[in-house]
Amino acid sequence: MLTILCIVLATFTFVLWPLIKVVTFPTIDDYMNFFRVQRWYYAGLHSLYMTFISTISCTIIAFIFAYTIVRLDVPFKRLFRFITVLPIVSPPFIIALSYILLFGGQGIITKHLLNIKVDIYGWQGLWLVQTITFFPYAYAVIYGVLRAISTNLEYAAFNLGASPWQVFRDVIFPLCRPGVAGGALVVAINVLADFGNPLLIAGNFYTLPTEAYMQIAGWYNLPTASVLATALLLPAVTIFFLQRYWVGRRSYVTITGKEIDLAFSKTPSLVKWLLFSVCLAVTTVVILVYGVLVIGAFSQAWGYNWALTLKNFRYMLARFVEIYNSLKFAFLSSLLAASFSMVLAYIVQKKQIGINRFLDFLGILPGAIPGLFLGIGFIMAFNEKPLALTGTGLIIVLGLAFWNIPTCYSSSLAGLQQIGNSVEEAALNLGANNFRSFKDIILPLLQVPFLSGFAVSFLRAITNLSVVIFLVSPRTVVGTISILGLVQNGVWGSAAAFTVTLITIAFVVLGIAQLIMKKTGKSLDI
Amino acid sequence: MSLNPNDAIIRIQNVTKWFGSIKAVDNVSLNVPRGSFTTLLGPSGCGKTTLMRLIAGFYEADGGDIYIDCKRVNGVPPYKRNTPLVFQEYALFPHMTIFENISYGLKLKGLSKTEIKEKVDEMLQMFSLQGMENRFPRQLSGGQQQRVALARALVMGQSILLLDEPLSNLDAKLRVEVRGELRELQQRLGITTVYVTHDQDEALSMSDVIAVMDNGIIRQIGSPWEIYFKPRNKFVANFVGTVNFIQAKIKEIAGSNIIASYAGGEISIRREGYSVSPGQRVILAVRPECISISENNDGVSGANQLFGEIKKSSFLGHMIRYWVKCREQEFIVDDFNPSRHGCMSGKVNISFDGNKVHILEGEG
Ligand SMILES: Nc1ncnc2c1ncn2[C@@H]1O[C@H](COP(=O)(O)OP(=O)(O)O)[C@@H](O)[C@H]1O
Ligand SMILES: [Mg+2]
Repeated sequence: MLTILCIVLATFTFVLWPLIKVVTFPTIDDYMNFFRVQRWYYAGLHSLYMTFISTISCTIIAFIFAYTIVRLDVPFKRLFRFITVLPIVSPPFIIALSYILLFGGQGIITKHLLNIKVDIYGWQGLWLVQTITFFPYAYAVIYGVLRAISTNLEYAAFNLGASPWQVFRDVIFPLCRPGVAGGALVVAINVLADFGNPLLIAGNFYTLPTEAYMQIAGWYNLPTASVLATALLLPAVTIFFLQRYWVGRRSYVTITGKEIDLAFSKTPSLVKWLLFSVCLAVTTVVILVYGVLVIGAFSQAWGYNWALTLKNFRYMLARFVEIYNSLKFAFLSSLLAASFSMVLAYIVQKKQIGINRFLDFLGILPGAIPGLFLGIGFIMAFNEKPLALTGTGLIIVLGLAFWNIPTCYSSSLAGLQQIGNSVEEAALNLGANNFRSFKDIILPLLQVPFLSGFAVSFLRAITNLSVVIFLVSPRTVVGTISILGLVQNGVWGSAAAFTVTLITIAFVVLGIAQLIMKKTGKSLDI
Repeated sequence: MSLNPNDAIIRIQNVTKWFGSIKAVDNVSLNVPRGSFTTLLGPSGCGKTTLMRLIAGFYEADGGDIYIDCKRVNGVPPYKRNTPLVFQEYALFPHMTIFENISYGLKLKGLSKTEIKEKVDEMLQMFSLQGMENRFPRQLSGGQQQRVALARALVMGQSILLLDEPLSNLDAKLRVEVRGELRELQQRLGITTVYVTHDQDEALSMSDVIAVMDNGIIRQIGSPWEIYFKPRNKFVANFVGTVNFIQAKIKEIAGSNIIASYAGGEISIRREGYSVSPGQRVILAVRPECISISENNDGVSGANQLFGEIKKSSFLGHMIRYWVKCREQEFIVDDFNPSRHGCMSGKVNISFDGNKVHILEGEG
């Protein structure tokens, strides 16, 4: 009973309270200003526009990747798959950083290969960067749905006289439409809320997150920042619930398919190699992006002196406490998020306490809140007594933990639903009391969801910028913040070294998690 | 079968269970005799599982009392009831080996390692599961999982065993096989068993007592023979086996016989057990195998006979089933001696033997 009370209280304090605080902070007049000041109103339009075009390009590329990897017999499929994981384990704005290194004033391609000078800051560049950064999110969803479609259906269509194109148009595509829609909405949420990429390369194409950030960082203008953050929250929440309750429900039905028994039907050669070349082109770009980073990390001075050096890493080691902070906060916040979510999911699923649906809603709600909004909410809600946390490490841990709750909560809930009631009842039937059955049956069975929730949270936390940017103090600077500072000051080499280190850590964590999962016969989904 | 309620090891008295606005179990009373094999039979959704779970203590009754071994168990939590249950979907613990699954209950009881090993080995032997103790449930076939579930319940050494459709996940052939084994095991160990099924063949072939349920209500309790030949109402007659219903009226009671009149004439039925009075409208229930059929080309019907025409027939080897239309009514007739006249068609006479006709007194 006490546990339930604590969980409910914590959820209210750390999810609902910051939200309410931000939304109610500005006056009506502040809100009206949003429409009066052209710059802010344009920021909203820019955000929506960028979200729209990036969603379309991401979804198309994601679909091509998913189709190629699932259905086509072509070389380099393992490489393609690897490419779709990379951006997810990388800090945000990495692609933007590489983009500057490639095409900027000192860019390899612009300066050294072509010897031209172009203005790369603007919406076109941002569009390219967002596409490369976020298509893997849509890929993951579309891949799942495409794989689950029973091949019997396409053979049935062939059997009735359909051509390959007709089979695609009438059977395969309609069946994965929920997946495509779901993937598109996931991309939309992420592009809308993204902060790092626009900050670095959008130039005059300011968006809501960057404007909100400027208001706080530049003028400490909280009312305006709150207005902009709220303007960002509205479309984010809309997209999120659209994805969750409309598409989410549909796509699950198809995912629970049986193992595929017939081989996929052949795709015409021309189409096959066309799709393959698109994948290859995107893959080349991604490899270039990461290759540039590695080269940058080992170069004397980007654009001037290509001599190999370890000085960037020495510099990074000198500031290793920032990387260490990243690790520490990511570890603690993920542990908190995973444990908290497990108990929350257990209460929602198994205990009838009357507000189950509302608790469930609070469990997934942070998924709809852009990180930047949560960050602003935390500084506003916890800068005075009784919870004066500003500047502490605790506020970062809490911020990251509650930002990650939906990830862990969903995996715990799915795990619990899989266990079913009767297994727990079987334990009671054999003489185990409530505590024993939780300890002997539920806990061991939730190990896998716990671990996968923990791992994904850890990756998200270590690469997060948008939440922590408002919460750090000089003592609690983390890796992503240092990178941002270095990039803004044009210290490319050290920025690259930091980035390479963070990615390596992320991959090591991912590897360990996958190794443990393999032992239990499960695989890790990101 | 009448019994002294004190012989009942499980006594259910006027138990009612609501789920929201659904009355899943409706004022049910049932005595389960010591050492008996008692079956709850009924269509899916009629409340069998709910009743079983009330006995095991997963739900609390909204009204009525449940006694186990003369002790009222209302409010006793499931882990103190000693009512091992075999779940329909087995509910084996997926993260435990077969050995750990079977020994879990003993471990909770605090038995020593050697005792546990001894008892589990006995079960492994009994269910031919030797050599599998270190496997996990998912590595076993459906039949093996089912035996593990049974072993996990039986190893507790209780005098009661609850089985909720334990055979429904097996394939047809295995189901018939296990049916026999299960009944034999129950008789050998003398365990009082409550068995839930929607399969009438299972119920008839295994049980000492059958309780037929419908919509949360028990419609009849009796031996398999009574349930099949002396159903108390149309529901039971129809649910257990195939049956023909005939509208009839009691004409007179002559000595030890009841004379009933129906569309085909009059029929004399032995009086034993029925309490009907002349003029009463009743329904006669006749099983398809209790109707005889013969060819008839001239179209007249004799005494106690109906004239009709075969609409459809289906040859099953050991019998032929006919659908015969007589005036407004269609009768199902089974001919268990197909070699006698081959497969008939066209015009036939059917007739009933008064000794094989059952009167449904309450319906009319
Ligand atoms: N936990 C529950 N919550 C709500 N309704 C239930 C629950 N369990 C069973 N019911 C309802 O009670 C009725 C009887 O169910 P059940 O006992 O499972 O039937 P059976 O086992 O005979 O198929 C059904 O209408 C079912 O929908
Ligand atoms: Mg049932």
